[in-house]
Amino acid sequence: MRGARAYRTLQDSQLVALVAEKDAGALEALYDRYGKVSYSLARRIVADETLAQDVVQEVFLSIWRDAGRFDAARGTVSTYLLAMTHHRAVDVVRREENLRRRRTTDEALEFEPDPKPGVEDDVEAAERRDQVRAALAGLPQAQREALALAYFGGYTQREVASLVGVPLGTVKTRMAAGMRKLKDALREPGLSEEHPPWSRR
Amino acid sequence: MTHTDFEQLAAGYVLGALEPDDEHTFRRHLEGCATCEAAVRELEGVVGALAYTATPVEPPPSLRASIRREIGATARPRSARPAVTAPAQVRPIRRGWTSGLVGRIAVAASIIAVLALGFWNLSLRDQNDLYQQRIAAFEQASQLLNDPAAQIVHLTGAGAQGARVTALVSSPKNKGVLVLENMPALRGGRVYEVWGIPKDTEPAQAAIPGGVFRPTNRISVVSFELAIQPNMTFAVTDEPGPAGSRRPTTNPLMTGATTA
Repeated sequence: MRGARAYRTLQDSQLVALVAEKDAGALEALYDRYGKVSYSLARRIVADETLAQDVVQEVFLSIWRDAGRFDAARGTVSTYLLAMTHHRAVDVVRREENLRRRRTTDEALEFEPDPKPGVEDDVEAAERRDQVRAALAGLPQAQREALALAYFGGYTQREVASLVGVPLGTVKTRMAAGMRKLKDALREPGLSEEHPPWSRR
Repeated sequence: MTHTDFEQLAAGYVLGALEPDDEHTFRRHLEGCATCEAAVRELEGVVGALAYTATPVEPPPSLRASIRREIGATARPRSARPAVTAPAQVRPIRRGWTSGLVGRIAVAASIIAVLALGFWNLSLRDQNDLYQQRIAAFEQASQLLNDPAAQIVHLTGAGAQGARVTALVSSPKNKGVLVLENMPALRGGRVYEVWGIPKDTEPAQAAIPGGVFRPTNRISVVSFELAIQPNMTFAVTDEPGPAGSRRPTTNPLMTGATTA
């Protein structure tokens, strides 16, 4: 078996190329990098450990099957993997209406203000989180709220409109403006999502 | 619908929050609009980044195990398999010359040139047989690798008197083939393991295992797979079988480095 250390020196896109050749170690290396954030996101959206595990498993098996179709020109591996996690988790939550009802009663649909102390052990993920939090802090509350309801709640724009009590057009405008500002804030130099070689532990 | 309207829908689209009719309209527009496609690509980056705002939760170990189990059957085997055990069964070189690819011929020719420089204390007939077997083995090796630009690495070391080990390595394929001759017999339960050691690293910590093998003939050809890097050193060690080790546990019998 190829040592786990060997994979750590490879970039995400190189790992995906190895996964396309059915290299199980490369898939595990991607799981080492993104399994936790993928699971954390899925769990936040579906609010159920078993369903969250199903989502993450589906995501990684899908990469295992379709790595050959990954197009680096279209975006980074982390974007591909996490956007897929989001997409599938939202599908689950829409299928299981009762999950959503349960979750909305006991957990506010907001981007958490601060990480709980002591839960963080991955420096890179923590840095990324700080960057995104800072970008979110720059948005008006109404835009942040619309995005959180869609992103974590899996609500459609019409549902968000009725939850917040504003016209559909207003929700569309808020989401578009919020996403555009986040995109600009996260596009600053030095915020590359790709892991450079040799940077991992 | 104006183009600005479409641009506005892009945000809802990447969030999966569009109403079905809007989604349908936007998808149809997206197929022919490079501007919106680029916008979607950029906004997907935001969707990925927002994942990091979810409170981090460690997934249960059973999740990794479950993924591992699901892919297990379709994964590529992890240990090197002996590609050929009896050189006598290898196709004679002459057929290779007429039917082989130009690249293979080039590799075989360069190998023969290298071999011709060797000095062998053997009777002429034995020497001819040995040459035949050796050439057949290298022919087999270059066929397995099938890379005209493969590098030849001679492995040397005091640990295996009389043994000759040559590696052909292909960095684009992350693959190599070892041609082994007169390897010392292994003690029961032991195997040879091939390693790639990245430049300027400590073998005990950074050696990358390429697979295990037990040569059974005077000349054997085994293939291995590892992420080949420039200026990498290759080494063979004696390790506990049947699976070998994750890191070398003995000093290498022989080593050799690629030149570029």
